[in-house]
Amino acid sequence: MAEPASIFRLDGVSKKYGALIALEGINLAVDSHEYVSLLGPSGSGKTTLLRVIAGFESPDAGSVHLNGRDVTSLAAHQRGIGFVFQNFALFPHLSVFDNVAFGLANAPNPPSADVINRRVRDSIKLVGLSGLEDRGTEQISGGQKQRVALARTLVTEPGLILLDEPLGALDANLRSRMRNELRHIRQQLGVTFLHVTGSETEALAMGDRIVVLDHGRIAQFDNPDLVYNAPATPNVARFLNRYNIIEGRLKGDRFESAYGTLSFGRKIASEEPAYVIRYDRITPVPAAARTKEPGIPATFVASEYLGSSVMYFFEAEGGKVVEVEHHLSNGAPKTFEPRTPYMLRWKSEDAIVFG
Amino acid sequence: MASASQEDKTEVTARTTKAWWLIAPGVIWMALFLVVPILMIVYVSFWTQTTFKIEPTLTVASWKQFFASDTYLASLWTTVRIWLIVLATTFVIGYPTALFVGLFVKNKTLSTVLLVICVIPFWTSFLIRVLAWRPMLGKEGAINILLQKFGLTSQPIEALLFTDLSVIIGMTQIYCVFMVGPIAFMLGRIDPNIIEAARDLGASFWRIFTKIIFPLSLPGVVVGAIFVSVMVLGEFATSAALSGRKVNLLGNIIVTQVGSLKWALASVVGVILTIIMGLVIAGFLRIVDLKKEL
Amino acid sequence: MESRVLKPVLAVYVALFILFLYGPFIVLAILSFQQGPEGGPQFPIIEWSNYWYRHIFGLTPPSRVAPLPFGQSLIRSLTLAFMTMVTSTVLGVMSAQAFRSKFKGSGVVFYLIVLGMMVPGVLTGLGTALVANNVGIERHWWSTAFVTHVVYTFPFAFLVMLAILNRFDASVEEASWSLGVSPWRTFRKVTFPLIFPGVLSAMLFAFTLSYDEFSRTLFASGRDQTLPLAIYGTFSVEIHPNVFAFGVLTTLFSFSLLAIYAILMTASVRRARKVAIQEDIG
Repeated sequence: MAEPASIFRLDGVSKKYGALIALEGINLAVDSHEYVSLLGPSGSGKTTLLRVIAGFESPDAGSVHLNGRDVTSLAAHQRGIGFVFQNFALFPHLSVFDNVAFGLANAPNPPSADVINRRVRDSIKLVGLSGLEDRGTEQISGGQKQRVALARTLVTEPGLILLDEPLGALDANLRSRMRNELRHIRQQLGVTFLHVTGSETEALAMGDRIVVLDHGRIAQFDNPDLVYNAPATPNVARFLNRYNIIEGRLKGDRFESAYGTLSFGRKIASEEPAYVIRYDRITPVPAAARTKEPGIPATFVASEYLGSSVMYFFEAEGGKVVEVEHHLSNGAPKTFEPRTPYMLRWKSEDAIVFG
Repeated sequence: MASASQEDKTEVTARTTKAWWLIAPGVIWMALFLVVPILMIVYVSFWTQTTFKIEPTLTVASWKQFFASDTYLASLWTTVRIWLIVLATTFVIGYPTALFVGLFVKNKTLSTVLLVICVIPFWTSFLIRVLAWRPMLGKEGAINILLQKFGLTSQPIEALLFTDLSVIIGMTQIYCVFMVGPIAFMLGRIDPNIIEAARDLGASFWRIFTKIIFPLSLPGVVVGAIFVSVMVLGEFATSAALSGRKVNLLGNIIVTQVGSLKWALASVVGVILTIIMGLVIAGFLRIVDLKKEL
Repeated sequence: MESRVLKPVLAVYVALFILFLYGPFIVLAILSFQQGPEGGPQFPIIEWSNYWYRHIFGLTPPSRVAPLPFGQSLIRSLTLAFMTMVTSTVLGVMSAQAFRSKFKGSGVVFYLIVLGMMVPGVLTGLGTALVANNVGIERHWWSTAFVTHVVYTFPFAFLVMLAILNRFDASVEEASWSLGVSPWRTFRKVTFPLIFPGVLSAMLFAFTLSYDEFSRTLFASGRDQTLPLAIYGTFSVEIHPNVFAFGVLTTLFSFSLLAIYAILMTASVRRARKVAIQEDIG
C-alpha cells in the first residue's frame, strides 16, 4: 500500500458567518512530513481554516480529506488530528502527567496502564519536562505549559498537528527558543505540522512551505524563499512587512505613480496593480543627485535601531511613509538631517510590479 | 424556522438539532407543568360553578360574581395597597443598607460577610419566620414589653398585631433582603474613580448621589422591585398568620375558595392576579432594559 | 467630608437593620425554652426548660398539647427536596449547555424558563390542581407537587449554570475532542469537573427552595403533608412553644446542610482557583 502523497487536502472549502466571508473556495494539499506555515493578518480566516480542518467548525461548501478519506462530516474526535491552542487549553483540574495521559486514557480502546505510563513519560521527556509530572498546571511557566500542550497532542500520535498561534502567548525570548524546538520535534517524529501565525518572521523561519491567506482566499502557497522574493500579490508583499508599496497604474512596460514613471525589473500578473520595493534595497541620496535609476523624493523623519540593522522612516509627497532598512553588515549606520529632502533610489531590477 | 439563510444552513441545522435535544426536556416540562396549568386557570374561570362541582359549560358568571362583590373588590384594593406599601418600605429600609454594603465597605471580605448575614435568616423556614413575629408584636410581645420598660408607653399597643401594620412589618422584614441584594450588586460595580473624580470637582455627596450613584443603581432597584412585587402579590401566608384573617389578599381569596371547592371563582382571582403581575413586570422592564444591563 | 459623617451613620443603621432581620428569631429562640406544658408562646418566661424540645420527640408525658405531626412530613419534605434538586439540576445543566450555541428560538425559550420563577406559587399550584382534577390524576406530594417544585427551582438552576458556562473557556473541550475523546466522555471528564462548583450551587438553590416551598405544595399535593404544610396547619390553631422549638431545630438542621455545602465548595474552589491562575498567566 502506497502512502498517499498528501496527508490532507481541502477541496473548495467555503465558510461564512452571516454576511462575513471567512473562507472562500480554499483548495490546499499538504504533503506528509512537512512543516507548513499559514500566514495571514487577523481576519484573514486562518483560524477558521484551522478549525474547519480540525472539525470544530463544518464548512458551508467543499470537503476535507485526510489520508485520502473524506472526513468532512466526521466529528472532531474521530479525525485523528492534533490541535495545539494559543492559550494552551490545558485541563486545569489535572496534573501535568494526567494532562498528557488524557487522550490515551480516555480513548475508545485505551491501551494498558503500563503502555500509557511509558508513552506519557517518553512524550514528557521529548519536550524536556521530565521531573514535572506531578505538578499542577498552575505550577509551571508559560513555556512549560506550551510543552505540556504539545506533549499531550504528540502522545496520541496524530499524523497531522494543527498549531493555532502556539507561540503567541510567549515572550520574545521564549518564542525563538520554542521555534527551534518545534522544528526539531517535528523532524524527529515525522508528522505534519500546520502552524498558523500572524508573524511573518515566524512563518518564514519555520515553514518548509508557506500558505498566505488573504480575505479567506489562498494568495500564495510556496516555499519561504519564493514567498519572500516573489510575493504573488501586492497584499502578500504587504503581509511580509518588508516591502514599500507604491500605488499607480501599469502602462505597457512603464509604471505610472504619483511620483512619476518608475521602471522595474520583474512583472508579476495580478489583478491589483502595485509597485513594490524591499526596504533594504533603497538607498537615500542627496536630493540633487541625478541617475537613471528609479526613485522618489522624500524627507527624513526618524530612525529606529534594531540591532542588526537600522530602519529609516521617510515621508514622501501625500504623507506616504517610506521605510528604508540598512543592514549593519553593509557598513556603519548613516545619519540623515531631519526635515531635509532626500532622493530615495533603488535599482530597477530590484523592483517588482503587479498588474 | 425554515428561513435559515442558505449559506450557513448545514451548520445552523446541525447545531440547532443538538441544542434542541438538550433543551427539549426543559421546554416540555415548562410547557406541560407551567403553561398548560396557567391556560387551564384562564379556561376554568369561564366554567359553570355548582355547589361542589364545576362543569365545562362556558359562562362569565364567576367573573360577574367577583366584580359584583364588595369583599372581593376590597381584597383587590388591599392587595394593591399592601404591595405598594411593602415595595416602598423594602426600598426605603433596604437602600441605605445596600449603599453601605455595596459602596461604603471597601473590604471585600466584610461586604461578603454582611451579605451572608442578610441571607442566613433564609435558612429558617419561611413560615417559622412569619410566625416569629407573633411573640414580637403581640399585646404581651417583646416590643410592647420593651416600650413599657423604657416608659415610652403606659398601655401596651394592641394595634401592633393582627392589623395591616403587622402584615406590612412582617413582609418588609421577609422581603427587604431581595431589595438589598440586587442594589448592593449594582453599587459594587460602580467604578470608585468616577466618584473620586466627582468629589475632586467639588460635588457634594447629595449631588454625587443623585447624579451618579442612584442612576447607576437603578437596574438593581428594578430587579429588587420585581422580586418583591412577584412575591408580595402572590402572598397569603403572612397575611393569614399576622392579620388574624382581617387582611384578605387575592392569594387568601384563592386559598379560601379552593378550600370550599369554588374552583371557578378561584380561577377568576388567579387570572386577575396574573394580569396585575404581567402589568407590573412589564412596567418595571420599561424603566430599565435588563438585557442591556446584565 | 460628608462620607466621614455618613459612613458611621450608615454603619449604625446597618446594625439596626440586622437586628430587625434577626430580632423575631431571637425572641422565638428565647420563647422556645418556655416552661411546659402550661407556658404559652409569650413573655414572661415562667421558668426556663427544655420541655418543648422533649415534646417534639415525644419524650414528655401526654398533655393537652398534641404532638406536632412532623416526623413523617419531615421525611417527605427531604425526599421531595432531593428529587427536585436532582431533576432541576439535570434540566438546568442541559438547558444551559444548549444555550451555549445560539439556537433559533432561544429568546422565547429563555423567557419560558424564567417564567417559572416569576409566576406566584398560588397560581402554579392552582393551575396544577385544576389540570390534575380534570385529567383525573390524583394529587400527591411526589407527583403533582414534585413537578410544580421543579417548575420553580429549574429556572434558578438554569440561571446559575448559564452564568457559569458563560465564563467557561470552551477550548479545553475542543482540546479534549482533538485528542480523540468523545464528546460525552469530554463532558464527564473535563466540562463537568470544571463546572462542578456551579452545579453545587444550583443543587443548593433547588434543595432549599423546594424544602421550604409551600404555596405551590398547598394545592398541588394531596392528603399527605410536607413539612411546611404541617407548619402552615398550625397557623389556624393555637400556637404553642413547640413550634418555636421546632423552628430552632430546623434552623440548626439548615445550618448543618449549609456547612456541608461550604465544605464541598471549599474543596472545589481550590480546584477552580487553578483555572483562574492559569487564565491570569495566559
